[in-house]
Amino acid sequence: MTLLLWILLDPRMWWLLAFWAGAWLLNAELAKKRAPWVRYVVPLVFGATVLVLWQVGVTAYGVNKIILPPPSDVLTRMSNSGPTLWADLVQTFFKGALSGYAIGCATAVVTAIAIDRSPFLQAGLLPVGNFVAALPIVGIAPILVMWFGFDWQSKAAVVVVMVFFPVLVNTIAGLAASDTMQRDLMATYSANYWQTLFKLRLPAAMPFIFNGLKIATTLALIGAIVAEFFGSPIVGMGFRIVAEVGRSNPDMVWAEIAVAALAGSAFYGLVALIEKRVTFWHPSQRN
Amino acid sequence: MKRALPILTVLLIIVAVWYAAAVRMNAPWAYDQAARADQAAPSLMDLPGLTLDQDRPVLPSPHQVIAELARSTFGLAPSSKKSLIYHAWVTISGTLLGFAMGTTLGVLLAVGIVYSRSMEMSVLPWAIASQMVPIIALAPMLAVVMNAVGATPLMTKAVISAYLSFFPVVVGMVKGLRSPEVMQLDLLQTYAAPGRAVFWKLRLPSSMPYFFASVKVGIAASLVGAIVAELNQQAGLGARLLQGSYYGQTTQIWAALFLSAILAAVLVMLAGRIEGRVLKRMGMAR
Amino acid sequence: MKKLLTAALFTAMATTAQAADDVTLQLKWVTQGQFAGYYVAAAKGYYEAEGLNVTILPGGPDVAPTQVIAGGGADVVIDWMPSALAAREKGLALVNIAQPFKSSGMMLTCLKESGVATPADFADKTLGVWFGGNEYPFLNWMNKLGLKTDGSAGGVTVLKQGFNVDPLLQKQAACISTMTYNEYWQVIDAGVKPEDLVTFKYEDEGVATLEDGLYVMEDKLKDPAFEDKMVRFVRASMKGWKYAEANGDEAAQIVIDNDATGAQTIEDQKRMVAEIGKLTAGSNGALDEADYKRTVAALMSGGSDPVITKEPVGAWTHAVTDKALQ
Repeated sequence: MTLLLWILLDPRMWWLLAFWAGAWLLNAELAKKRAPWVRYVVPLVFGATVLVLWQVGVTAYGVNKIILPPPSDVLTRMSNSGPTLWADLVQTFFKGALSGYAIGCATAVVTAIAIDRSPFLQAGLLPVGNFVAALPIVGIAPILVMWFGFDWQSKAAVVVVMVFFPVLVNTIAGLAASDTMQRDLMATYSANYWQTLFKLRLPAAMPFIFNGLKIATTLALIGAIVAEFFGSPIVGMGFRIVAEVGRSNPDMVWAEIAVAALAGSAFYGLVALIEKRVTFWHPSQRN
Repeated sequence: MKRALPILTVLLIIVAVWYAAAVRMNAPWAYDQAARADQAAPSLMDLPGLTLDQDRPVLPSPHQVIAELARSTFGLAPSSKKSLIYHAWVTISGTLLGFAMGTTLGVLLAVGIVYSRSMEMSVLPWAIASQMVPIIALAPMLAVVMNAVGATPLMTKAVISAYLSFFPVVVGMVKGLRSPEVMQLDLLQTYAAPGRAVFWKLRLPSSMPYFFASVKVGIAASLVGAIVAELNQQAGLGARLLQGSYYGQTTQIWAALFLSAILAAVLVMLAGRIEGRVLKRMGMAR
Repeated sequence: MKKLLTAALFTAMATTAQAADDVTLQLKWVTQGQFAGYYVAAAKGYYEAEGLNVTILPGGPDVAPTQVIAGGGADVVIDWMPSALAAREKGLALVNIAQPFKSSGMMLTCLKESGVATPADFADKTLGVWFGGNEYPFLNWMNKLGLKTDGSAGGVTVLKQGFNVDPLLQKQAACISTMTYNEYWQVIDAGVKPEDLVTFKYEDEGVATLEDGLYVMEDKLKDPAFEDKMVRFVRASMKGWKYAEANGDEAAQIVIDNDATGAQTIEDQKRMVAEIGKLTAGSNGALDEADYKRTVAALMSGGSDPVITKEPVGAWTHAVTDKALQ
């Protein structure tokens, strides 16, 4: 109790609380406006507030840099270590995560189409798939590193395993999404199975498929980073995080985390943009 | 039986493929050992015997995994530190505590997002971005900070679990709290219902199906979070996975892995059962 | 009456225990024979005899002792000197107060069939290293041999190995880093015979650095009460180490009893304690300045990427061991 009072009566805490209250009021006022730029400014204000509070809090309270470095240190490190961060990004994101994502999603869609014709297989595969999806990735990763070696191939393998099931489930749900009336219409045109598939059912399934693809983007990046914890060459985001924790360089660790968050958000945003183009007809895109 | 037949068929196919894969993947070690002992390379007939019961197999065979699982769960006293039941209990306690914290936080955030436009615009994008940050990278640093303030390992685990489970709950509850139809909202307006009545009598009950859908995702995410946190601790299924990895005991890894998946399946099934009961009582059974 | 007496007795004991000073020790790795001395000191009551109530915190793959002590989670930590000196240069003022390990147990173990017979054969091979603070001695050695570690032709490809010996067994690396007391024996246990292996000891190659030592924060050491606590701690710990050297099997059993994970086996620990005994032999706990200078020289000679750039000042002290070993 006394500790709480002591924290609250500290002038530094007043400054932090005042700043936070001010930013909150600013955001509340901005939110009342209807202009389109508001949607971008408000989260930026929120983010900027958090960064300022972090910077001031860590510096004012003299928190040891090894525990939590201030954002200024992290930004300095990011600008100084550009080539290293880029090399790590290429290794983990482009080589590991993206290749695994492509292979995993393609396989999942193809498998969904393959088992679409067989309700028997569906009934058998989905519960088993549920079980496989529940296997914690931190357990699968060491096994796959043992099988596929240390380089990006094992990371891609981990991503494939993580991404396969969500996309599969969503594609199967999507393939079932077309109306009976729509399928009847195709039947009146005497369309065969493949024509119905490509001209009706797959386009109708796109909203679901993209739902799965968006979920898969997060999983892909996390999967690649986690896989690197269990064995990797000396480049890669997961590797860098572990190595720098051991070298007492938390600013580098946070720099890598920031890059990961940016890359992940950009990836998600890209998929969402493609979704907007492909599924422009869906109610959720038109609201 | 009709429902079980497809599952059993698929399982049988998987087990068969697994045995074949085990023989194939453990074969190089068998050949190497023969070469080192200056013996002739084993024939194809000898291979199954040499590959399906290795001490440190690259791929343990199904019976090895089941034997290890049975031995560590039923073959040992639950209080023994080698027992998987003890470790599973440690993991579950962290999962459930973290899940409770995450769900509460998620629901509160969702309510805030639905009722406050500024919260919606500021918090939601960051909630999405928070899930892009690999928590597994933050886990060790979080553990150090929490230890410094005197938190127990259970609390550290719970925080990480809460981090992973709050997001599905936020997304689901926001959708759910916004799901009442305009007609229903208008009806309550004709009753001159105050704001809190609209919340408790309409929005909250309509959000129940979405809530339970998110709970099922969230509880699995909590379990993953607890296991990730345990990678730096001494007890729990995550710690067990890591130890198996250190000492090259692949059967231990697979046994712990299977137990985690079984746990996840059981938790989700329990959530599903509770969902069925609650929705039935509320008249929203599907 | 008996219950009342027992209750009173326990209360009295508890009160006496509370009067003892609390010390928290953070280990560098999980509970194993590598830290036998401390567990023996606790089990045999040496800490209690010095009026200390010691909590031993096991480490693990993501537990960095430097971070733990920076966060105030421990009073004293076990760390390797390269990692401690690097942290000191980054602003974390760690001071070595005792050095129970005189020799280094680090080795590079290679499969004979990979074609490696001498260090000159490392070129164009894949070598495994742990990182997490243990890579410094390796990088120094490669620099001394003139081998680049970026995977370019004529250099070596470095693999971040996990904490098992699979990379060697699965032939993903020609050589892996091992400790004399742990991973080497895992390779043997896995079925590879010693004659199929070629081992290079860092001590023999002249690139050894000081390993397990006790480190505290410099500012805390200025407090006479804390220094006195450390003096008693070091005295009892060294007593524990010498007992462990002489009574390996008993020490191994004590380690097993303290293992919360249930993963260690008595045979492994007996072997580990015996090997550790070879590393602690020759040290009474006081840091040998010549060893320290050799380690510093090795770390500063890292070519373009030295581990430390300046000669450390005040990184070690004999103040604690002088008083402890009187």
